[in-house]
Amino acid sequence: MSSAPAPAAAPLLALRGVTKRFGGVTALDGVDFDLCAGEIHALLGENGAGKSTLIKILGGIHRADTGTVLIDGAQQSVRGVADADRLGVRIIHQELSLAPNLSVAENIYLGREPGRWGLLDRRAMEDAAENLITRLGMSEIRDVRRTVSELSVASRQLVEIARALATQARILVLDEPTSSLSESETENLFATLNHLRAQGVGIIYISHRLEEIMRLADRVTVLRDGHTVGTRSIGEVDQHELVRWMVGREIVDYFHRPDARPGDVALEARGLRNEKVRGVDFKLRHGEILGIAGLVGAGRTELARTLFGIDKLHAGTLLVDGKEVAIRTPQDALAAGVVLIPEDRQGQGLVMIQTIAFNLALPWAKEWNPFGLPDHGKRGAIVDRAINAFGIKISGPDAGMDSLSGGNQQKVLVSRWMEHRPRVLILDEPTRGVDVGAREDMFRIIARLVEEGMAVLLISSDLVEVLNMSHRVAVYRDGRIIETLPAASATMETVMQLLTGAQAQ
Amino acid sequence: MNAAKRMIPLIIAWIVLLILFRMKVPAFLARDNMIDLVQQISVNAIIACGMTYCILIGGIDLSVGAVLALVGTVTVSVLSIGNPTDQSILRLALAICAGLGVAALFGLFNGFCAAKTKMPPFIITLGSMLVARGLALRINETPIRVPAQDDLFLAIGNARIGGIVPVPVIIMLVLLALGAVLLHRTRFGQHLYAIGGNREAARFTGIAVGRAELIVYILCAVLTGVAGMIHASQLYSAEPNSGQGFELNAIAAAVVGGTSFTGGVGTIPGMLLGAVIIGTLDKGLNQAGVHFSLQYILKGLVILAAVYMDVRRKRQA
Repeated sequence: MSSAPAPAAAPLLALRGVTKRFGGVTALDGVDFDLCAGEIHALLGENGAGKSTLIKILGGIHRADTGTVLIDGAQQSVRGVADADRLGVRIIHQELSLAPNLSVAENIYLGREPGRWGLLDRRAMEDAAENLITRLGMSEIRDVRRTVSELSVASRQLVEIARALATQARILVLDEPTSSLSESETENLFATLNHLRAQGVGIIYISHRLEEIMRLADRVTVLRDGHTVGTRSIGEVDQHELVRWMVGREIVDYFHRPDARPGDVALEARGLRNEKVRGVDFKLRHGEILGIAGLVGAGRTELARTLFGIDKLHAGTLLVDGKEVAIRTPQDALAAGVVLIPEDRQGQGLVMIQTIAFNLALPWAKEWNPFGLPDHGKRGAIVDRAINAFGIKISGPDAGMDSLSGGNQQKVLVSRWMEHRPRVLILDEPTRGVDVGAREDMFRIIARLVEEGMAVLLISSDLVEVLNMSHRVAVYRDGRIIETLPAASATMETVMQLLTGAQAQ
Repeated sequence: MNAAKRMIPLIIAWIVLLILFRMKVPAFLARDNMIDLVQQISVNAIIACGMTYCILIGGIDLSVGAVLALVGTVTVSVLSIGNPTDQSILRLALAICAGLGVAALFGLFNGFCAAKTKMPPFIITLGSMLVARGLALRINETPIRVPAQDDLFLAIGNARIGGIVPVPVIIMLVLLALGAVLLHRTRFGQHLYAIGGNREAARFTGIAVGRAELIVYILCAVLTGVAGMIHASQLYSAEPNSGQGFELNAIAAAVVGGTSFTGGVGTIPGMLLGAVIIGTLDKGLNQAGVHFSLQYILKGLVILAAVYMDVRRKRQA
């Protein structure tokens, strides 16, 4: 789809023999990496492979123990963020770093506000932001005067990208930029990136989504355990080979759709309504995965929140195992056997400053601590069961939650509810920022649970994931299920047409 | 344990303080002086226990100083209704119930506002602080003496068990032991750490965040009520203007003892150590004859140094 321009004589950026240790852990071990002007170079690797460290060295957040950074063939010392900025390096991190209380325009020009004598020229700033947003095709933003806190996660990410592109960038680094973008937003982003490539910007693109990399990148470099496994032109590799490079073993297919053996109706929704949910009916059976396919902003997360009692229900009824239940709070939902794994793992799911054991044992405090005095043996047993159930890789249960990779954090979040099997498990974006290996583990375990009778409502922006895991796919748009398709007839094309409102035939 | 390790530098700092004051005041480490010190700490430590809960869940209670004065005023007023000449257990019980009841009402109000409205606890308790102070002054603008025959009430603040251990110290130790069990051993305590660490996550885990918040503010106010009775007893009178700045001392004890203002971190033993350090500093500077203006400055610097060290250690970890 994209044709790579001929690489220039001296690469725009060259990293040579970069090594970085943290205490006894070697994060990077003699890594070489080249980036040409007008190239999109994908950086692949499981979480913990060293991608983030490499990026932080380039951005001046960490300093390499040994190794050199060359820009246009000249050795540069990147001692701090200011150096990286001067060299034209722009990094868009996975964790967004916007000021939620300021407007879109104010965020884009934060620290370089147009004006004279210290007076802010708000008009000039808003016009410039408006132009930028239009040029980048970010129609979702609509108004640059809007406060960032009003925007969806996807829109905030666009603002972040706009901010990086507002000044002349020579090297742009994007860390998992599409993890919370819808298909159409992703298309917009790709168009922007292709545009920047044509202008000679060098782009380092980090993603777990191989399909994206195959479409977008010119070259790909795979890191594993701090080493460079290899660099290839996109034309010379296929997806299976890349996965094998990343994990050191072959994963044929990381989706494990459980056999369809639907039982009784586990969760039934009749005419659910509130501000964001506009009349939702569905039946979810035991032993079934019902996928909710929708674009970002369609209100899928709000549906999940409503089912879990976080958002108030204005009208409609919910039945769990055929019995009507009033779910007004998360406690009601949990009592009825409905569990929600929220989309924002660190913001809504985990207590990051606490230990792994704390997080795993938290929901079951009633059992290991019924009368005020904790039963540490019982607590330990609950924690061990949770760790073993999902094969969570940890140094010990009392290690900090923040010592885990994204994939293992997600496993903690799900496995802690397995002490007593929920009847209905709602997964909202379960694989965001989760590496391929952990994704496979997660789906294998979910498949097993479903085969044992659990009912799963799967919400994901990753359409491939929804289509490959679900028995039925509910197409969700503007707070409504507009159609429910059996897996066999839910193809990428039909679902996309329904989602975007494009007319078939 | 991690928490225990974090107390080591504080213990060292306290010992250094003791040595310094011993050099200036030869009798500083004498038994009687040390017992005085512990007695003087007890009111602050009891308040700081509740304050630690509040700060732990990301809140604050600025109303404690004023509630302390109001509780003292209410309690002593009930004791002296009708100018009795005898001592009555019933009247004493009634007075204590009235005092703690008023405290609980303020806690309920603070907690309800914190849990159910979007008002920040700083503002809520700033408001209730003024209301409590005003109510205390409305009841009586001048101090009310505790009726001289009320030995039992006066014993709360002044008696010594076996002629050695002051009653307030016993009360403090019992309450702090209960407070530590509540925070470190119960489900409720676990929930407080979760709420302070990540309020949203606690909600998604099915913790009744609002209810826990309500209980925390009630506990803080009731503990303050107990402290208010000890304080009134020690003064032999209820002074509607007493307790000014007590909230700041309680916050200082909690924070010096390692409680994080962002929530989710803090222990009762740490808080007690913080209260001991603040108390030692107050007493030592006084006995060393340091001018009171300089006392403020030194105390402020010590608090800043302690918190700075704690923040730095956390960043390294």
